[in-house]
Amino acid sequence: MKKVVFAIIFVSILATSLVKNSTKEIEDKIFIINENIRPLKSELGDVLLEYNYLSSPDKLTQYQNQYFEKNLIKIDINKIKKLVEKNNHIKVDDFLKNKNNAQQKN
Amino acid sequence: MHNKKINVTLEEYENKFSYKKSKTNLNIEFNRIAFIFFIFLVISIIYSIQLLHLGSLKKETNSTKQLITKKNYRADIVDRNGNYLVKTVSSIDVGINPIEVIDKKKLLINLQLIFPNKNYIEISSKLSKNKYFYLEKKITADNYEKIMMLGDKSIKSEERLTRIYPQKNLFSHIIGQIDDNNQGISGLEKSFNQKLKKMKEPLRLTLDTDIQFLIREELVKFQSVFRSKGSTVILMNVNNGEIISMVSYPDFDLNKRETVSNVNFINRATKGVYELGSVFKTFTVAAGLEEGLIETDTKFLNLEKRLKCEKNTINEYDKKMPSDLTVEQILVRSSNIGSVRIAQKLEIDKLKSFLEKIGVLKKIDFDIEEVGEPIPFMWGKCKLATVSFGHGITTTPLQLAKGYAIIVNGGFEIKPSLIKKSLDNNLKQKRIIKEGVSQKINLILRKVVKTKEGTAGLANIEGYEIGGKTGTADGYNNKGKINTFASIFPASKPKYVMIVLLDGPKTSIDYIYEYKNKSGSYKGTPFNTAGWTSVEVAGKIIQKIGPILATKYIEN
Repeated sequence: MKKVVFAIIFVSILATSLVKNSTKEIEDKIFIINENIRPLKSELGDVLLEYNYLSSPDKLTQYQNQYFEKNLIKIDINKIKKLVEKNNHIKVDDFLKNKNNAQQKN
Repeated sequence: MHNKKINVTLEEYENKFSYKKSKTNLNIEFNRIAFIFFIFLVISIIYSIQLLHLGSLKKETNSTKQLITKKNYRADIVDRNGNYLVKTVSSIDVGINPIEVIDKKKLLINLQLIFPNKNYIEISSKLSKNKYFYLEKKITADNYEKIMMLGDKSIKSEERLTRIYPQKNLFSHIIGQIDDNNQGISGLEKSFNQKLKKMKEPLRLTLDTDIQFLIREELVKFQSVFRSKGSTVILMNVNNGEIISMVSYPDFDLNKRETVSNVNFINRATKGVYELGSVFKTFTVAAGLEEGLIETDTKFLNLEKRLKCEKNTINEYDKKMPSDLTVEQILVRSSNIGSVRIAQKLEIDKLKSFLEKIGVLKKIDFDIEEVGEPIPFMWGKCKLATVSFGHGITTTPLQLAKGYAIIVNGGFEIKPSLIKKSLDNNLKQKRIIKEGVSQKINLILRKVVKTKEGTAGLANIEGYEIGGKTGTADGYNNKGKINTFASIFPASKPKYVMIVLLDGPKTSIDYIYEYKNKSGSYKGTPFNTAGWTSVEVAGKIIQKIGPILATKYIEN
């Protein structure tokens, strides 16, 4: 009985160390991938920052004034249309009417 | 010879000791060795496992720690759509230590090739002084590569982290500033100082950059029309307290890192404590409905034109105000005397407890520390009368927005917030006002805008079902007028509350108003009231942001 217990403990310790070693390899791979992602993330952040700055409403208005002759106009909510797909057919509906109907249903 | 017979008996000696392999004894020896060996084995295996494990862990923690503990690190701040409002970027400063320069002439020629526009007479004199100096701060990646390729030991580089605010002035009061020691000194930078230093992910706010821009643009435009000292707008979701926009004007560019000491630059939305006038009448009526003392059609007959209370005289602003009014008419026509009568029915305790319940009387707990405290006062008969129409009582625009949100959202408690949370945390949970009060109030607020008798007709923009209440007050200590419009939309099922406050506006002689409830237009501001100033601003803002709110946030 004792032998069996010893054997089980010994085998499980060996198995654990083996599993641990293989886990370590995976962890190393994850570590390397993470290290490679880090500069990419930083680069993405910088690109996003540039994008946010260049596409900020302030900049867009500035470009609009610089390059276009016409002024920006306010959208009339009554003129907004909504595309509704039903039975493979696309129906153009008034956005406001659609919204009001949905509210009434609620 | 004496012969004696000696008998010697030889017996076979039987040795009882027999050598046998004592199994037990040997087993003891073997078990001891095996046990010791086993223990050593276990210890060495555990040690090696631990060693390997720690080895792999160490690398990982080091890499993340490196980023976090970097001097001056602070997490970025983004708006609700993930657009950067604040970003920490690393920059490199390049300096020269003249002591380590080997060939001064050669170095100067090389530097001239990389930075042709620099003043080299000055640099040459600095090199002679043997004192370290910065050659180029925030150097570009190209120039950094070129200068490092020179391989001169005297050239030193220092990496720095700086905060960039791509939206410039747009969120100045909300985000706030940091000092040179990376400590937040105002706004979210102050209240989330420690969190921002530890957070790995950006701090996501409830604000929308596009809407914030459009609102600010309108405030700037109307600043030149009404020449007010300042103005503020708060746009909040009434169902979860998320603040979509909060603009306080004048503002400042955070990138300039200027010291702002002028009081006019305070965050009027949260720090400004104002006497807001008739916008409080909505609270008086709601309190009456809540207590069941009045209904919307309850009539008040023979209302006086003038009331005297101690030294104060209470008048009607509208000289043509009828003497018989229903509760609905009192609110629509903004009757001061009518509001006093409702308050007298309520009495001090009930009105006071209602105002406390909606969070108007005490300092609000908010995400930034720049929060004003309503001025405390002693309740009395005259105070009850003046409070009923919003005089002799002060609060902040943020608390006004909260109060209106609770009154119109079905009576549910909400907490105004700038930080985007998961949806579960933001749901309406605790009802603090009886069911049905909101419906009655919403109908009346819509009539304030929709009907000719109402005081906010200029905000009746088609398609948005705007409701609201105006408030005109003489600023505390006679510091100019405070014109406020508290609006809700869509009134049939309110989703947003928007407060527009103009601090010290003046009338305009050139501005052309376009009537909404009737045809035609009007040139010049006839009265310096909220109905002719704040309401016009609110209408223009909703016209611009309405389509975005209606389409962008339809699923929310």
